[in-house]
Amino acid sequence: MQLRDFFSTDTVDLALKTETKDETLRALVRLFHLDEKSESILFKMLKRRETLGSTGIGRGIAIPHCRSLVVNRLRVAFGRHAAGLDFKAIDEKPVHYVFLIVAPPLEVSNQYLPVLGKIAQFSKEADVPDRLAGLESPKEFLQLLEEKGV
Amino acid sequence: MHEQLETLLEMQDLHMQRRALEEGDVREFESGVFDMSVEEALAALDDKISELEHRLTGDVQERYRRVIGRRHRAVVPVLGGVCYGCFVAVPTSWASEADPNDKMNVCQNCGRFHYYPP
Repeated sequence: MQLRDFFSTDTVDLALKTETKDETLRALVRLFHLDEKSESILFKMLKRRETLGSTGIGRGIAIPHCRSLVVNRLRVAFGRHAAGLDFKAIDEKPVHYVFLIVAPPLEVSNQYLPVLGKIAQFSKEADVPDRLAGLESPKEFLQLLEEKGV
Repeated sequence: MHEQLETLLEMQDLHMQRRALEEGDVREFESGVFDMSVEEALAALDDKISELEHRLTGDVQERYRRVIGRRHRAVVPVLGGVCYGCFVAVPTSWASEADPNDKMNVCQNCGRFHYYPP
């Protein structure tokens, strides 16, 4: 299982124009093209998870995540925010890179936790923040995942 | 979507989050990677579930309590015409409605609430 297999160019936004954490979560959820109610429920769940502790893991990276009945398969998205967002991250620094991961309660291959783990592993690589900053297209993002082989 | 179903979905997701946090792998991951205080998180989830439960109307609340006590999951998806709680086929007329989630559908076999994913 490779991280690259879960992402597609249409769920990557390298120019987020949001001003808050909430707006960012909504913007990324919208990339999944769910109906309005499902988007709203998913947003609530992601927000709920954030109230239990920030998913900002430091070095400008956050990984909001949750399981919800409103999705029928594992979905992932990535967003980049040039100015940085207050995510109440562990290192208290602004977040520029947001990986969103959502999954249904029951998955045939149970990939949620392994994918979450791979994103965390990818995020910890020393050069990743700089590489993410330098991306010029969603395609390059996918190439970076492929290159890292996680 | 029916307002009560929306509340039930949120509760179901919170229950799921709670159960996951009690498992070793998720617990370890959330506290290790995200520095989460798991005990505090469990208490916060309990509070929220309880708050939402009070928003349920009489008959829905009664069924919810009955089902969650026996079967752990009170709301299950219907996929391919099958209830994903008991895996029994549901009447096709329900799924053919404009939006079956606009009303409260209950499995005639296991009694769980049904949700039709988009």
